[in-house]
Amino acid sequence: MSLIITEQLTKTFNGTSAVDGLNLSIKEGICTALLGPNGAGKTTTLNMLTGLMNPTSGTITFDQRYRGDRRQFIGYLPQYPKFYGWMTGEEYVVYAGQLGGLSKIDATKKTEELLSLVGLDDSKKKRIAGYSGGMKQRLGIAQALVHSPKLIILDEPVSALDPIGRRDVLELMRKLKEKTSILFSTHVLHDAEEICDDIFIVKDGKVVIEGDLVELQRKYQKPTIYLETEESIEYWSHSIKNMDWLRHMQGTKNKLTITVNDIDVAREALLSNETLRKLKITNFEIAKTTLEDLFMEVTAG
Amino acid sequence: MNEILLELESIPWGLIAPLVIIQLILLVVALVDCFRHNNTNGPQWVWVLVIVFGGIIGPIVYFIFGRRND
Amino acid sequence: MNQWIILFNKEMKEAIRNFKWIWIPLVFILLGIIQPVTSYFLPDILKNFGGFPEGSMLEFPLPTGPQVLAETIGQFGQIGVLVIVLAFMGIVAGERNSGTNIMVLVKPVSYVAYIVSKWLHMSLLAISSFSIGFLLASYYTFQLIESVPISYVIKGAVVYSIWLLFVTTLVLFFSVLFKSNAGVAALTLGITIIISLMSSITPDLLRWSPGMIASHSHSIFQSGEAGEYFWLSISCTIVLIILMIILSIINFKNKETVTHTT
Repeated sequence: MSLIITEQLTKTFNGTSAVDGLNLSIKEGICTALLGPNGAGKTTTLNMLTGLMNPTSGTITFDQRYRGDRRQFIGYLPQYPKFYGWMTGEEYVVYAGQLGGLSKIDATKKTEELLSLVGLDDSKKKRIAGYSGGMKQRLGIAQALVHSPKLIILDEPVSALDPIGRRDVLELMRKLKEKTSILFSTHVLHDAEEICDDIFIVKDGKVVIEGDLVELQRKYQKPTIYLETEESIEYWSHSIKNMDWLRHMQGTKNKLTITVNDIDVAREALLSNETLRKLKITNFEIAKTTLEDLFMEVTAG
Repeated sequence: MNEILLELESIPWGLIAPLVIIQLILLVVALVDCFRHNNTNGPQWVWVLVIVFGGIIGPIVYFIFGRRND
Repeated sequence: MNQWIILFNKEMKEAIRNFKWIWIPLVFILLGIIQPVTSYFLPDILKNFGGFPEGSMLEFPLPTGPQVLAETIGQFGQIGVLVIVLAFMGIVAGERNSGTNIMVLVKPVSYVAYIVSKWLHMSLLAISSFSIGFLLASYYTFQLIESVPISYVIKGAVVYSIWLLFVTTLVLFFSVLFKSNAGVAALTLGITIIISLMSSITPDLLRWSPGMIASHSHSIFQSGEAGEYFWLSISCTIVLIILMIILSIINFKNKETVTHTT
């Protein structure tokens, strides 16, 4: 069951498209990552999903079971959350809860619960102006959750944090996964791999790879051969360009990384190659690529 | 000398006192806010001077331009 | 409706914490007291320090009660309006510049309620400050100068309040339109000054204008009766106020909450 589906979602700023025909389908009950380098259009996409920005074209459809203003069912934490500094943490979350449709009593109860969940019990009576970056991030998560949304959207929730803050927030997200669906954006594959189930890799406003994380990892774990030679391998490498076992090749003067379809065929072909032998092989290693390699390849190329 | 004293007596202080009191309230509130906030536009001590020596408009100028909104 | 109250309460709480609910009324109270007191002492001051020859028989008559009330309104119209405009120039632009509005508008908040609650709060503060300031002005005038029929005073004050509402609406309108606080203040003040000036220079051409309101309230203090074309200018002003509120809401909706960030 999909919570949000976007079709051909496009946003153009002064003639250049930040988001270009994006098709997403965010499923209920799982954690989805929107992964991509800076400038890929992640924040713009999230802003359109939350209704803060209007798409230039394309559609956003929220699950038909949840009728009315979709903001009711979404909790959002921007990359740099800005609060009213004159309010206390507690006041802010209660205010957010009331705006989300809770009664004062319910909002207060929920606030109590959430502030202890995010670990702000001790500072809830302090003015937000005095909060640290990590505290604001956690307060931001509390205010996003206060009206019990069906989906919470987090924009780069950990990228501005130090390693400890990062661990805390990721831990928190793991807990939240049990109760609500999460969509978050990041430019770090590792963060996505750690907690998400589905992944969308975006580049230049388009989805380049999408799917179940485990499946993708399996699918893109291609056998790879690392080759090193004493003589320059560059010229020779052109000779295998059109081999049908070759998927991708990348290298420097004396090193070559070859991703292949069938490891046995490739090994046979390479080891029996006379020209290659003359280049004096110093290293011949067989390994498997990770999603990281794929991500680098996709986002760099 | 006596004339001045007479003049002073003839001034209806009951009417003037509220002006002084309001001026004082403004001054105190502005100072309290200035010290409590620590995030003024520009150096804090300048604003303290403005509030104390700025007469009636000192505290008002502080409230309008001195506080950084948060 | 509930949401309107929540948003309004937030505005209220904010303005109490940053002392707007203290210092703005105090400014109006000061203005309200100073005007009658100076009117009362002015003849003495002129006599003693005016540099007139000793024993000259010049008489400096006290102004009448309605005159003092009109002068007080004049003070409110200049310094009071200046203070209100400066205090609220960031009413919408401020939250947009700081980004705090994002966190509010991702909640299921009506844009109409967001804008109108801000306007209501600003107007309430302006009208309350004016009322208490004018109450004191009348008290001092009655004590020091002369009494004016209470009904004239109240009627005149109510009429003048409409001009203040026009000013707060202008602030709101420009604060939605522009990012810069200074720009909002300059435009609002510029327009109020131009309207007032034009209305006093060519009243025949500007019978409908909000700038006529001040002179209508003056004549109410004087005689209990407003000047000619009173209802024309009042209804034009109210129409303008409503129109500007609607335009503010439309502009606010059309302006995207988030500007392009990468």
